[in-house]
Amino acid sequence: MWREKLRIRKSNQIQALHPSTKFLIVCLFSACSLILGSIKMNGYALLIIPWFLIVPLLCAASGIFMKFCKAFAKVLLVATMIFLTQSFLVRSDVVAWSGGVLKIYEKGLQTGIFISFTILNIAGIFTWMFQTTRNKEISRALEDSGMHHKAAYVFMSTLQMIQVMGQNSKTIMNAQRARGVETEGGIFVRAKAFFPSLVPLILGSIIGAEERALTLESKGFDVNGKKTHMFELEPSGYEKLAASIAVAATAAVLIGRILVWVL
Amino acid sequence: MGAIIELNNVTYSYPLANECAIKNVSLKLEEGRFYGVIGQNGSGKTTLCSLIRGFAPSFFRGSLTGEVLVCGKPTLDYKPGELSLKIGYVFQNPFSQISGVKDTVFEEVAFGLENFGVPVDEIEERVIRAVELTGISALAEKNPYELSGGQQQRMALASIIVLEPDIMVIDEPTSQLDPEGTESVFEIIKGMKDRKKTIILVEHKVDLIAEHADEVIVLDKGEVIRFGSKDAILSDETLLECGVQLPNIALLGNKLTRSGVPLERIPITEQQGVEIIGKALRTRSWCK
Amino acid sequence: MGGKTEKSHSIKSDFSMLAILIIPIAVAVNFVGGQLASLLKLPMYLDCIGTIFTAMLCGPWVGALAGGLTNVVTGIANPISFAFIPVNIATGLVAGFLARANMFSNWWKWLVSMVILAASSIIVTAPIVILVFGGITGSGPSMVVAGALAAGANIMTAFLSGDGIFTVIDRTVSYLLGYLVIGVIPSKTLIKFGCGENYIKKASVKKSA
Repeated sequence: MWREKLRIRKSNQIQALHPSTKFLIVCLFSACSLILGSIKMNGYALLIIPWFLIVPLLCAASGIFMKFCKAFAKVLLVATMIFLTQSFLVRSDVVAWSGGVLKIYEKGLQTGIFISFTILNIAGIFTWMFQTTRNKEISRALEDSGMHHKAAYVFMSTLQMIQVMGQNSKTIMNAQRARGVETEGGIFVRAKAFFPSLVPLILGSIIGAEERALTLESKGFDVNGKKTHMFELEPSGYEKLAASIAVAATAAVLIGRILVWVL
Repeated sequence: MGAIIELNNVTYSYPLANECAIKNVSLKLEEGRFYGVIGQNGSGKTTLCSLIRGFAPSFFRGSLTGEVLVCGKPTLDYKPGELSLKIGYVFQNPFSQISGVKDTVFEEVAFGLENFGVPVDEIEERVIRAVELTGISALAEKNPYELSGGQQQRMALASIIVLEPDIMVIDEPTSQLDPEGTESVFEIIKGMKDRKKTIILVEHKVDLIAEHADEVIVLDKGEVIRFGSKDAILSDETLLECGVQLPNIALLGNKLTRSGVPLERIPITEQQGVEIIGKALRTRSWCK
Repeated sequence: MGGKTEKSHSIKSDFSMLAILIIPIAVAVNFVGGQLASLLKLPMYLDCIGTIFTAMLCGPWVGALAGGLTNVVTGIANPISFAFIPVNIATGLVAGFLARANMFSNWWKWLVSMVILAASSIIVTAPIVILVFGGITGSGPSMVVAGALAAGANIMTAFLSGDGIFTVIDRTVSYLLGYLVIGVIPSKTLIKFGCGENYIKKASVKKSA
């Protein structure tokens, strides 16, 4: 059976969760991060630091730890930069730590921790979702949840187009080089290489779009009826459990927040 | 048998164009026949195809007078998608016919049926038949973008054939292919002919038209200047003045006749050439 | 066909089949443009060329979607770019409305448009930078630049280094490229885009001149 081959099989049960469940987890986790961030101890939002530990743990449990590290490096860099600039450069009256010429002020450290860990938490959980889910699954889930099939088409087509055009641009660039268009040298020389590399690429795609529009029409793309799909999302069976855990954790965090507030 | 496609006094011009792309064309095309469309560049071949499929004027806009009937109904009266099931359309460029959202050839071919909401079991059966018919079964799991031009064009044919239209409009399917790709595409078209589809094919390679078509439509400056049996048309040297190419064997036949070799008639395919010229050589009554 | 018909713009009619197919191209051009600019070590980002020419061809709503989608797709690899979705949406909207208001027709209108385009980016970027990144301003530019670059938030860099001119130049070059492309699109293709007609007259005038 051909359809068998199209199925995405995942041995890891967390990875295999339905995309909508993953999205629920992402939303609740982010909400919790913000709630916890509003609990200040001596002005420091310390709770979001251990909260972040959940992200790498979840990724490890999903069997994508290395993939996660690779994808997350950029975010980590940004968060570190923000943390450092905030702590060292935002001045206030109280010095939290000083070593030689360097001084960390309390205010800066507080905002530094809050902002950088909020970013780490939210970006981290999104990274988890995207690293455990294929684009195809995202697109199907979006369509299942009521997105118009044309919108889902735009999403998938965009992802493929980026790949295809990236490849074409390399081909054109190499051809330009072979033709003797300078790609190195002064700024104007390099700028001159930019235009001939990009313009034919865009033009070709736009003219191709015309034919593609007709092709799609020939294949019934604009029929407004029920569509069928060769590729179906399959729930792993643990969706309810995962969602319950996420909801329960969020409820606990929320209750905790209210208690801190009342007491 | 009645006409499956009928054009009555059709005149059409593209938006912004001063001249008409198609002028006063009336045609009756019959079911189950293979029509070759020839003419020099800009003679209106593609426009004729677009009119039959209804892309003109629905997509290209422009102005149309006269009427184009498919199965007795004006193309303008068809609902979106309805015509897609009647007429399959294959374009020149294999690359731009890829839907751009599928990872495998199999899914690409299934795309049209998914749009029409055909049940998945049926899709699977029909796709398997279509990829077998077009000889791309072995490629079914590949990414559409990894295929060669010829393979992509066969996939394009498969993804139309799978919709099982009665009429196929095929616009220069081989213009961007190498000889090998061309041959494989024609094998498929021949298969469609055997299955009694009505085929309208635009093709520059007249030898192939001579070989496979039943009838020929010759266009020049937007007008149909000839329409009828391929034997009479493709051997007529006066067409050369309109920029129409003729099969090499027909040119040879004409030259032989002029130089005194009495041929029964002018051959237009290699096969006919061998027979007719061979016969003339054997009798040799004209020698001396 | 030459007669000027009063065109009504509904959002739904803006999203024609062709417009739908231009969006993926726009996003890919944004990507490739940015890549190419950094490959050639140009001191510009040129990562909204696709958004701008789409807005010019298909109007503000399609442009906005192309812009927003660019950041959504980038966000799959780096979620921080989600925060900057509004910036690219603004670019698409503003470029589209400027095109619709025929604000690219002569040199002074054009200059004003470039400033508006750059200013809108800066204005939208400012609150995001303050909210998400704690409003780091002025101090420690090099570190911030590194951080911003890593975030893929290119506008932010321009904003933070306080260099509005930089953004104006970036937008101008992007616009010129878009204009160049539109100039070579055959008019029979142009006519099928929502705002395509605006450029046909110009093209024919240019040829006869």
